[in-house]
Amino acid sequence: MTQPGHTSTAGETGMKPEGRGRFPRPSFTVALIIKLLFLAVVNALTVFAIGPLAEANQWPGLVIVIVVTIGIDYVYLSKRTMPLKYLVPGTIFALMFQVYPVLYSANIAMTNYGTGHVLTKEQALAQLASLPSVVEEGERFKMTVVATDGGNGDLALYLVDANGDAFLGTPDGLTPVDPADVTLDDKGRVVTLGDYTSLNLGQAQGRQDELQTFQVPTDRGIITVQSLTAAVIKPSRYQYEEATGELTDVDTGTVYTQEQGTFVAPDGTKVTPGWRVYIGFDNFSEVFTSSAISGPFVRVLIWNFVFAIGSVFLTFVLGLALAMTLNHPRLKGRRLYRALLVVPYALPSFMTVLVWRGMFQPDYGVINQIFHANINWLQSAIVAKVAILLVNTWLGYAYFFLVSTGALQAIPSELTEAAEVDGASPWQAFRNVTFPLLMVAVAPLLISSFAFNFNNFNVIYLLTGGGPPIPGAQTPAGHTDILISYTYRLAFEGGGGSDFGLASAISILIFIIVAGISAISFTRTRALEELA
Amino acid sequence: MAVTAEHGVGATENRRGFGKWMRTLGWRHLVGLIAVVFALFPAIWVVSASVNPLGTLVSQKLIPSDANLNNYRDLLRGYTDSGLQVPYKAWYLNTILVAGGAALANTFLSAFAAYAFSRMRFKGRRGGLLSVLLVQMFPQTLAFVAVFLIMIQLGDVFPAIGLGTRFGLLLVYMGGAMGVNTWLMKGFFDTIPTDLDESARVDGASQHQIFFRIILPLVTPILAVVFLLSFIFLINDVILASAVLGQGSPDNFTLSVGLFRFINDNFSLRWGLFSAGALMAGIPVLVLFMFLQRYIVSGLTQGAVKG
Repeated sequence: MTQPGHTSTAGETGMKPEGRGRFPRPSFTVALIIKLLFLAVVNALTVFAIGPLAEANQWPGLVIVIVVTIGIDYVYLSKRTMPLKYLVPGTIFALMFQVYPVLYSANIAMTNYGTGHVLTKEQALAQLASLPSVVEEGERFKMTVVATDGGNGDLALYLVDANGDAFLGTPDGLTPVDPADVTLDDKGRVVTLGDYTSLNLGQAQGRQDELQTFQVPTDRGIITVQSLTAAVIKPSRYQYEEATGELTDVDTGTVYTQEQGTFVAPDGTKVTPGWRVYIGFDNFSEVFTSSAISGPFVRVLIWNFVFAIGSVFLTFVLGLALAMTLNHPRLKGRRLYRALLVVPYALPSFMTVLVWRGMFQPDYGVINQIFHANINWLQSAIVAKVAILLVNTWLGYAYFFLVSTGALQAIPSELTEAAEVDGASPWQAFRNVTFPLLMVAVAPLLISSFAFNFNNFNVIYLLTGGGPPIPGAQTPAGHTDILISYTYRLAFEGGGGSDFGLASAISILIFIIVAGISAISFTRTRALEELA
Repeated sequence: MAVTAEHGVGATENRRGFGKWMRTLGWRHLVGLIAVVFALFPAIWVVSASVNPLGTLVSQKLIPSDANLNNYRDLLRGYTDSGLQVPYKAWYLNTILVAGGAALANTFLSAFAAYAFSRMRFKGRRGGLLSVLLVQMFPQTLAFVAVFLIMIQLGDVFPAIGLGTRFGLLLVYMGGAMGVNTWLMKGFFDTIPTDLDESARVDGASQHQIFFRIILPLVTPILAVVFLLSFIFLINDVILASAVLGQGSPDNFTLSVGLFRFINDNFSLRWGLFSAGALMAGIPVLVLFMFLQRYIVSGLTQGAVKG
């Protein structure tokens, strides 16, 4: 990795082997031991991870884990990978939990992942195949309920068919039982069978719910419990035809065809569960075309911009005004003012927002008490928006107060004095001298503050929860929702279930907006200068 | 100001002095005092509510009668006299372990990366720096749906680090290791003269020895600031913490998720307990912030914005 002709890095190879001076060899062996211990831990973790990954059939994951481990070993054992030794640890975590989630969001945004479409197709078909017919019945069995651990452990069914052949039925399937392994009592009931013992009446009644849903899958159908002494085999209700992709309901004769991850009958009835499928850009087009979604979405988007711009404007104006007011050389107690005014910014915002929410409570909240008002602060759209801006101004002005104070102190006083000598009014001096100089330092911060507030989830979610709801919205959208809180509610708090696909599509839209803003911001900061 | 004009005629020397003081400094104090009241108003109410034995929104007064510390006692022992369970201590400890652990790890991982970018010249350095900038443009919090689904899948294979576990949240937080902080620290590393490295190298120091014994001790204050900024940022995280822990056991919650759920369930009746909990969480952060304020401000102006 090291370029030829580099100057500032010698690396290990370029070092004087005799190691004279203040950096003697022994500390190097300590470093070597630490390095080997670290690698031992990494490799041990990988060995531990192989078992569960293989068991879960996660072959791509398994390959990645092994390749990454070999890569780490190489980087830390080779002498030619000095920069990577420093870059690899942070990069691995960033790839796993930042880059991958972002890419995965884009993937989910193209699917119908959500309530009713959580499973993969194989899982959904397996679940459908396990549903027994409600009409047809097959062979009957005499049954004894048995369980491991003296009747308290895993349940199983001891089944005897009409020919007198005995089987043990577990959720994994049916296995024949050698009569020699079974101890029976005088009424022909099982007492013990391997690890299993029969349940007494109390145990059987206590586990009745479990028994009612207990199923033994077989080639001929599903064995379900009928009473405490009888079981019956029922054919699967749904027959899946691999070739045509059609699903037949044996009970009714209805034929279902596949449509976007669900089996749908000609009359529109759907079979649950469905599975997740790629639906292309449907989630995105839905945001813009489906009136029940796009209407509220546009309102959320507009308020998102109003909220972010309003927050930046109010915090900046208040912060700057306070900085100008209190930045006077002869003002006593400047430090004290400064310390007290920073308190809102120094306290964790998740709790101060909740405190404000308590103060805004209509019936007993402090704010209504003090002003003898009866305002339903968080229930009316306009008032809730005002409350949000007020709280966010309280949370954020101190940032611009601190920044502006610093910037003002950096502006030489000779400049404003010169302007005054030239006959400028204080306002003119501020407008034409102080403010432009201030903006040089503060403008990039205004942009990053906008980007931050654009996704200021805490203020919205903790203060109003996005409410009050927009009437007629098909998705959970509220008057004070911004995109990120709306997305959160789509994913976790939707009345009709979660819609991870739509939620991810909206996160991708936010990504695009935020990336645009950041791009502007970066070109204005020093960060890029070095790369030019 | 208008006041001084009215008193212009026949005013005593003293009054004229007051008018002048008012014009130059007095109004500044007035504005400052109003601003301080605005800033501290919620904080004062929380202090008052936290020592109010009745502990409801209805009963709150600025100066409660019979103030006592029962709310604090209840939080620290984990239950109230009426039998309400609050695993506050667990939340507190979880927050310190998860947010503190991740902030500490991220600080060092960032410092490693920043050292490579600052002191080494290698193929792909420019691309690496650009990638760090690019990654920053896609905040992890926005991918919370994907994080949630990834943690479900991870938990299916490794239950110990999957959805609902603190260790899982710690790992998610460590995803933010490369980003603003890397740039911030690279900037500080760049200001340390390379003469120091060179002379150490002449003395026989290896690359690692230069980093651990020369550079790191010099940037300790910066490490402290980066740690504190990440820590405050992570304490305030509601969205990822809810996504990862929200459907799990309340004992695994962090303060942000725990306190929010706690007060959200019953705003008016749990006000006192909540206030006490908020203060115990907020005051250490406040003190740390005040202590390091000067450094934080310089760190913030370099591009990071606290949550």
